[in-house]
Amino acid sequence: MVIGIKNSLKLAGIAIMSFCAVFVCNLFLNFNLDLVRIESELTAEYQTIFYDAVTATGKVVASLSGGCLLLTSVVMLIFYIKQYIHSHSKELGILKALGYSNLKIAKEFWIFGISVFMGAIIGYFSSFLLMPMFYEKQNQEGILPEISINFNLILFLLLVILPSITFAFLSVAFAFVKLKRPVIKLLKEIPDIKIKKFTDKNTRSKKEASFLTELRKATLKSKKTLVFLIAFASFCFSSMMQMSFSMDELASEMFAVMIFMIGVVLSFTTLFLGISTVISANGKTIAMLKVEGYSTGQCEKAIFGGYRPIAYIGFAIGTAYQYVLLKIMVEVVFADFGETVDIPEYGFDIKAFIICLIAFALLYEIVMRYCSGKIRKCPIKQVMESGE
Amino acid sequence: MIKIENIVKSYGEKENKQTILKNISLEIKDGDLVVILGASGSGKSTLLNVVSGLERPDSGKISYGEKELTSLSDSELTDFRKNNIGFIFHQYYLLPNMTAEKNVKMGAELANNKDYGEIIEAVGLEEKKRKYPSELSGGEQQRVSIARALAKKPKVLFMDEPTGALDEKTGRSVLDYILRLHKEKNFTAVMVTHNANIAETANTIIKMQSGEIWEILSNESPKTAYEIGW
Repeated sequence: MVIGIKNSLKLAGIAIMSFCAVFVCNLFLNFNLDLVRIESELTAEYQTIFYDAVTATGKVVASLSGGCLLLTSVVMLIFYIKQYIHSHSKELGILKALGYSNLKIAKEFWIFGISVFMGAIIGYFSSFLLMPMFYEKQNQEGILPEISINFNLILFLLLVILPSITFAFLSVAFAFVKLKRPVIKLLKEIPDIKIKKFTDKNTRSKKEASFLTELRKATLKSKKTLVFLIAFASFCFSSMMQMSFSMDELASEMFAVMIFMIGVVLSFTTLFLGISTVISANGKTIAMLKVEGYSTGQCEKAIFGGYRPIAYIGFAIGTAYQYVLLKIMVEVVFADFGETVDIPEYGFDIKAFIICLIAFALLYEIVMRYCSGKIRKCPIKQVMESGE
Repeated sequence: MIKIENIVKSYGEKENKQTILKNISLEIKDGDLVVILGASGSGKSTLLNVVSGLERPDSGKISYGEKELTSLSDSELTDFRKNNIGFIFHQYYLLPNMTAEKNVKMGAELANNKDYGEIIEAVGLEEKKRKYPSELSGGEQQRVSIARALAKKPKVLFMDEPTGALDEKTGRSVLDYILRLHKEKNFTAVMVTHNANIAETANTIIKMQSGEIWEILSNESPKTAYEIGW
């Protein structure tokens, strides 16, 4: 059939995210489950308070990073399958024309779940390598009795097996839905474009805009998942980076490094995947613009220009999100401490915000430069399929 | 005048190297309608790509008047195409997420042509200018691509099998429209085709075979699109 292991391996981004998600979640949740085993040994009140605080922190971090990464993985998977169906439209159309049912073809997409399994299983077992140091750090004051590391089967099932099966199922289901297109549309590679009715009002207002402005708008509108990915990448960068600064003060250096790493992996992977897809999805448009005589700068503005404001909106939302989240987290985690410990003050970190904004602007422009290079190299012959 | 001197173009490397154009030389006069005729694999489309500046030759010289195309940088070449060249491909290559009108605007804006509405009307697409390419028939899509090319007011129009994907009736009407426009606007037109009947509509016929020019014929009495066989 048309899908093989190679296609699944191309989903390296999802594998990396699964790795990070399972690595972090298993570290904290395994610790939490091992903590439950010593709960009966806690006698003093300060031990119980510390126990509750550590457990709550573990839950917040696991659900925050795990949830965030899981959501991204789902979006990326859906995005990738959409792209796959789009770029293999002809082959899939031929299969359908030959009589293969949508379900029979969609079943082949289960293989995409392998990327999740690969990332999850490596993440799961490698977290055990860091666990001794992690357990020691978590209880470095010696408030709790000695906590031993145990293998919790339930976590293996929940973090490795369940996501792999779910993702495989999700791939089949999504592919099934996306394959519900007329054979002729698949064979002729006719894109799905929502036809909108023109009114005198919107015709008048659009007459003012230049062709490149209209192309920029149309490119944005036709790839909504991509808009989400770019906004999400910026959101992750902004929230995770700024959070890692605060985590250093609120929790520990280890948390800070972990959140920082996740933020970098998440934003880089999503941003890179997003932008490289913009190029491949618009290859023909770029080539045609160049054929007609539009310069590389004009091509770049028309194809990528619309994503810049989206990226900064994502950054702004990420800033607000991390502020609200940390404010709530400080209140929840330290609520039970009463006067036994000094509750750290949490306020908006302007310095962290400025550093992250500059880093983000730099990262975004570097990725854009890379993309411009790609546009420059985009062969005009790409549109000359009839070239002998 | 377009002057082509000793053009060589190959693809592939080492043992896979295939020479597609073998030392081609010819001249195309201003305002002429030239048809490059040849079977599949003869090198006619590659010649069109090289002469129009879409691809660079391995060696040889192409000059448009005083301007030597082969010595231009990539950005100069883009600028040259912008100001001088129009293209019509047999696969249309319209932007799928833009309406017919916006596709024409793509060419018009490069020439600062605000009256591109007239061209849309002239190709008979006034009623369908707000339709997307997927809502148009093959003939209508080709007419959009013709309008896009003409909206640029090109000095030279290159056409790669412009009627190749069309049925006889639509093909004839599209060809007729191109021929009429050529007469009216007097631009230089270079058309690639494998159809010997279509070649009868040109002033000059260049026959190609295995990457070489086999014959150049002058046609004193070109036929109209409705006089030729199909």
